[in-house]
Amino acid sequence: MKSPELKGRNRRALALLLLGLILALILMSLPLYSFNAAVYTKKSSNTFVGDEKYQSARAEVEEKAEGFRAQGFDVEINETVTERVNSKGETTSLIAFTIDQKLSRSLFAFWRTALPAGHVFRAMLLCALGSALCAALGLRGSEELLPKYLDGRSRVLRSAAGVLALIALLLVPVFVMMNNYAFGRALGLYSQELLTEGKEALYQRVDRFLFDGGAGENIDAALKGLSVRHSGMLWLLLPAFALMLLCAVQIRHAAIESTLLRGLLYVFVTVMCVVVLYPYYVMLVTAFRSNAETLDMYFLHMFPTKWIWSNLSDIVHRGVPRYLLNSVFVAGGATLLAMLCGIPAAYAMARMNFAGKKAFLGFVIMSQMFSPVVLLIGISQLMNTLHLNDSVVGLMLVNAAFNQAFAVWLLRGTFVSISPEMEQAALIDGCGTVSALVRVLLPMAAPGIVTALIFVFINAWNEYTISTVLISTASNRPITVGITQFSSFNMIEWQYLFAASLLATIPVVILFMSIEKHLTAGLTSGGVKG
Amino acid sequence: MNSVQGKRKWEPYVWLLPSFALIAVFVVFPILIVFKLSVSEISQAGVIGDFVGLQNFRDAVKLPAFKTVMLNTLWWVLSVVGLSTILGFIVAMVLNQKFRGRKIARAILVFPWATSLVIQASVWNYIIKFEYGSLNNVLLNLGIINQAINWRSSYTVEFIWECGVGIFVTVPFVAFCVLSGLQSIDGTLYEAATVDGAGFWDKLWKITLPLVRPSLTVSTVLNIIYVFNSFPIVYTMTKGAPAHKTDTMITYLYMLSFYERKKGPATALSVIGFLILCVCAGVYMLGVMRKEEEL
Amino acid sequence: MKKLLALMLALVMVFALAGPTAFADDEITLDVIICQYGPNTNDWFLGSGMDGTNFVDKFEAENPGIKLNLEVVSWNDVHQVVDTRIANNNAPDILNLDTFSEFLPDNLLLPVTDYCSDELFDDFFPAFMQDFLVDGTYWAVPDLASARALYYNADILEQVGVEVPTTWAELEDVSQQIIDFYDGEIYPWGVDMTTDEGQACFAYYAWGNGGGFTDENGAWALNSDENVEAVEYVVGLVNKGFTNPNPATQTRYDLQDMFAAGKLAMLIAPNQVPTYIKDKGGDINFGTAGIPAAEGKTAASVGVKDVMMAFRDDEADQDARNAAIGKFMEFFYRPENYVGWVSMEDFLPAVNSAVEALVEANPSFAAWLDVLAGCKFYPTSMAEWAQVRQGVTTVEQEALNGGDVRTLLDALQAEIAG
Repeated sequence: MKSPELKGRNRRALALLLLGLILALILMSLPLYSFNAAVYTKKSSNTFVGDEKYQSARAEVEEKAEGFRAQGFDVEINETVTERVNSKGETTSLIAFTIDQKLSRSLFAFWRTALPAGHVFRAMLLCALGSALCAALGLRGSEELLPKYLDGRSRVLRSAAGVLALIALLLVPVFVMMNNYAFGRALGLYSQELLTEGKEALYQRVDRFLFDGGAGENIDAALKGLSVRHSGMLWLLLPAFALMLLCAVQIRHAAIESTLLRGLLYVFVTVMCVVVLYPYYVMLVTAFRSNAETLDMYFLHMFPTKWIWSNLSDIVHRGVPRYLLNSVFVAGGATLLAMLCGIPAAYAMARMNFAGKKAFLGFVIMSQMFSPVVLLIGISQLMNTLHLNDSVVGLMLVNAAFNQAFAVWLLRGTFVSISPEMEQAALIDGCGTVSALVRVLLPMAAPGIVTALIFVFINAWNEYTISTVLISTASNRPITVGITQFSSFNMIEWQYLFAASLLATIPVVILFMSIEKHLTAGLTSGGVKG
Repeated sequence: MNSVQGKRKWEPYVWLLPSFALIAVFVVFPILIVFKLSVSEISQAGVIGDFVGLQNFRDAVKLPAFKTVMLNTLWWVLSVVGLSTILGFIVAMVLNQKFRGRKIARAILVFPWATSLVIQASVWNYIIKFEYGSLNNVLLNLGIINQAINWRSSYTVEFIWECGVGIFVTVPFVAFCVLSGLQSIDGTLYEAATVDGAGFWDKLWKITLPLVRPSLTVSTVLNIIYVFNSFPIVYTMTKGAPAHKTDTMITYLYMLSFYERKKGPATALSVIGFLILCVCAGVYMLGVMRKEEEL
Repeated sequence: MKKLLALMLALVMVFALAGPTAFADDEITLDVIICQYGPNTNDWFLGSGMDGTNFVDKFEAENPGIKLNLEVVSWNDVHQVVDTRIANNNAPDILNLDTFSEFLPDNLLLPVTDYCSDELFDDFFPAFMQDFLVDGTYWAVPDLASARALYYNADILEQVGVEVPTTWAELEDVSQQIIDFYDGEIYPWGVDMTTDEGQACFAYYAWGNGGGFTDENGAWALNSDENVEAVEYVVGLVNKGFTNPNPATQTRYDLQDMFAAGKLAMLIAPNQVPTYIKDKGGDINFGTAGIPAAEGKTAASVGVKDVMMAFRDDEADQDARNAAIGKFMEFFYRPENYVGWVSMEDFLPAVNSAVEALVEANPSFAAWLDVLAGCKFYPTSMAEWAQVRQGVTTVEQEALNGGDVRTLLDALQAEIAG
C-alpha cells in the first residue's frame, strides 16, 4: 500500500510546483509594462523648419511642456517632418510636434487598480497561491499513498491544486488581451469620440493607475496618444504556470501521461468546435443587426447593439418558409429515391459475382466527373422533353441521380466489410434475398446507410446551379435560389442573407441529431458479433 | 460467394437496374450532350451550330490564362483534398473516442457541411473583409490585435483563403466517411492487439487503416472529383480576380462561357477536365482496388 | 424484390402524372425574365410591393387571355439562365438585361417596331434609342438608366483644407495631403476594378483623357495612347497608396460602405448612393461634382442604361404574340406603373412621360436628368462588347499585378478587332 518511492516523487513534484510559483512571482514584480503617453500633439501644415510658423508652433509646444513639467510629469518633445513636392512643383510640408511621457509598471501594480485587467490579475495571483497551498495541504500526511487510497480531503485538495493552476494558466492570455483592449483600443476609440459609453470610468481608473490620479482635468489630452507595450518576458508566466499544473497533476494522479492525453483530447475538440462554429456566430450576430450596423467600420461591437428580431419576420414575408418547404421536398424525395435505387445496386455489387461489375463501378464514378454547371444545357433539354421543367419532382430526380455514385459506392464498402455469414444463415432459414437484406444486413450496415443518407440529403439540400436554371416560378424555388434575392444590384442585405442561411442550416442539423445514434449503433444493434 | 449465383444469371442486373437507369437518363444523357457541344460551333449567345471537329480544343489550349489556371487547379485539388483527408481522418479518430459531449461535438461538425457552399463562401468573404470583417472585429475587441489586418493583401493570400474555405467544408465529409468505416471495426481486434503489446501506431497502421481503407478510398476519389469541379467558393470570393490569378478550371470556364462568351472553348475545357479526372481517378482506383483485393 | 419493384413502378407513375397539364389554346403565355435591381424588385413584380398588389396580378387582371410567367433573377445568374434556355430553343419572350448585342448575330431578337406602338416609341428618350439602332433596325428599348458622378466627403476635404479635385494632377495632390493628414487612416480615392465593374473604371479614366472604347468612326480603338495613359494613371494611383487597398476584389458595395462610414474621402458612384448611405445609417456630409479629367481634357459623365428586348419565336402566332408583347410594354411604361418602378430603386427614367411625375416627387431628380443628358454610354450595340468589357477588366487587373499596359491593350485590340 505504501510506497517510499512515491513519497520521494511527490516531494519533488511539490518542490517543482513551488519553484514555478516563485518564478511567476519574480516575473510579476518586474516592470514588464511600458507606457508612452503622447500627452500633447500639434500638427502644423504648410510649415517649414525654421520659418515663422514653425517658431510660433515650437514655442507653443514648449510652453505646454513646461506646464506638464510643473505638474511633475517627466516629458520630452518630439517632432516629425513630412515634406512633399506637389504636381505644380511646389514643396509642401507638414510638421507634427508631440510631447511624450514614458512610464513603466510591474504586474503587481495591477493589484490595486479597478481596471478590468486588475480583477484578472488578482484572480490569477490568488489561483497560483491557492494551487500551491492546496498541493501542500493535500500532500500532508498522505505522501506515500497511491491516489486510489487517498481520503476525500486530500483528494479534493489535490484536485483543487490542479484546477487552480489551470485557471491561472488560462488567465495569463486573458490578462494580456484585456490590457491590450483597454489601453490600445478602448482609449483610442474614446479619444476619437467613436465611443462614449463608459469613458469617464475608464479614464478615471487609468488616471489612478498611471498618474496616481494626478492628471485630473488633463487626462483627456494625456491619454490621447497613449501607446502600451509589454515585454516578451511576460509570456514566461505560461511555462511557470504550466509547470505548476503538471506537478499538480503528478501529485493528484501519480501519472501525467494519460491525464495529459485526455486533456489534449478536450483541447482538440474545443478548438475544433470554436473554429467550426465561428462562421455561425458571424451569421447569427449579423442576422440580427440593423442594416446600418452590418457595416461596423470601426469594429465597435461584437454583438448587435440592439437585436432586430423583425429581420426574421421580414424574411418570412419575403417567402423564405415556402423556399424551405420546397427544399425539404426536393432533398427528402431525392434521398428516398437515391437510397431505394442505391441499396439494391450496392448489395449486388457487394454480394454477387457477375460480368461487368467493375465496369458498373467505373460507370458510376464517371457520372460524377462533370460539374453540374457544364451539364446545364443537357439537363435542361432533358427536362423540357420530360415536361419536368420548373418542377420540384424534376429537381428530385436530378439530385437523386447525381448522388447515386456516393450512395452506391459507400454502401458497397459497408456491405463488403460485414461478413455474409448472417445472411446466409437467414437464407437457409427460408428467408428470401430481399428479406435477408432488409432484416439482417441493413441493421448491421446502419452507420454506412446513415452516412449515405445524410450525404445525399445535404447535397440535394445545397444544390444551387441546376435549380437556378430549371426553376422559373418563384414559388417552386428551393432555399438556395430563394436567398439570392437578398443580394441585388443596389445592395447586399447581409442581415437577411445570413438570417435565411441560418434557418436553412437548422433542418439539416435536426435531421442529423435525430439519426446520429445510428452512426455508432452498427454491429451491436444487429445483436451479432462478426 | 452467393448461393443464388448460378441459378439465375440475370438477377444481379435486376438489382442494378434502377440505379443504372437513374444515372443513364439524368447524368449520362447530359454528358453526351456536352461531348456533342465540344465539337460544335457555339455562338456567343449559346446557339448550337455545325460540327467543327477539334477547333474548340485548339482554341482552348491557346487561351492566354490556360497555364495559370491549370496550375491553380492543381494546387487547389492537391491542397484541399490532401489536407482535408488528413484532418478529417484525425477528427474522425478523435470523435470515435468516448468522451463527454461527443454527441454535441459530432452535431457541430455537421454544420459546415449542412450549409451550402455559396453561403459558406459569402460568410468567409464577409469575415475576412479588411474594413469591417468579423475576424478583425473579434480579434480587436478581444484585445488580440491592436490594428486591423488586411487579410487579403495579395492574390496569393486570397487563394490560400479559398483553399482554406475548401478544406473547412470538406473535412466533415471525410470525417463522417471515416467515422462510418471506424464503426464497423470490431473492438475485440484492438483488445487482442493490446494484449499482444501493440502500441498506438501499430494499431493505427495494422488495424485501423486497412479496415477504413474502403471508406477512405470512396471519400478521396469523390473528393478529387468534387473539389476539382467545385465552383461557388472561388466564384463568390474573388471571381478569379485579379486576371484569373485565383481562377480554377471550373470557374475559368464559367467566366469564359458567360462573361467572355467564348462558349466553344469553354465546353472544350470542360471535356479536357473530364479526361484529366478520368485518368487521375482511374489510376487511383486501380491502385487501391488491387490492394483491396490482396486483403 | 417484388416489393421493391412495385415501389419503383409506383414512383415512376407518380412522376409521370406529376407533369404539367396542357393549358387552353386561346391563352398566350409570356415568359419574362427581369433582373434583380434592388431589395424591392421581387416584391414589386411578384409580391405585394405595388400598392398591395403586384405587377403580374395587375397585368393579368387587365389583360385576360395573357398569362405572365415572370421570374426575377439575380444578376449573378441571369446569363446562365438565359443562355441555357437559348441553347435549348426555349428563349424567354421578354428579357431585361444590360446588353443586347450578343443576341444579334444569331438573329434572335424581334425588331422593336414589331411590337412597340408608335406612341410608346416616341416616348423613349431619342438619344437612348439611337444606341439601339443596328443596321437600320431598333432591337431593344431602355428600361431605366443611371448616371455616375464624383462623390466627396465634404468634412474630410475641409479638415485637410483642400478643394474638390477637377484634374488628375490635383487629384494626386489632394490624395497625398489626405494620406499625410490622417496617417493613411482614410483612403482618399475609391477604385473598383472587380470583374463586374472593371469596364466602368476603364471608362472613367479613358473618357477623362480623351480616349475611349471606340474611335470617331465607331471602330474599336482600345490601345490608343490616351487609353494606355489612362490605365497607367489609375494603376499608379493604386500603387502610390491613394486608393482602397484591394481594388480587384473590393466591389462597389465595399466602396459605398466605406464612403458611408467616412473611411473613404472620394469615389465615383451612381446616383443611388444618397439612398444607399441613408439606408446604411451613414451620417456623413457629402457633395457631388464632375469626374476629374486629365489636364486640358474635358471629362464626360458615365451613364448606364439597361434594356428590355423581345425574342423571336417562329412557331407562335406572330400577330397575337406581338400584340401581347406590345400590351406588356405599354403596361410597363404607363406612368402610373413606370414611375413606381424607377423611383423604387432610385434609378433614372428612360421615357419622357415619367419625367414630370418623378421630378415632382423628388426635385433632386432634375439635376440628375441634366447629368444624364451629358452622359457617355458604353458601346453596348457592338457585337464584341461582352468580350471588350471582360477584356479591359482583365487588362486592368493584369496591370495591377505589374503587367505592361501598352502590351496588354495591344493584345486585346488585336484579339477584338484583328
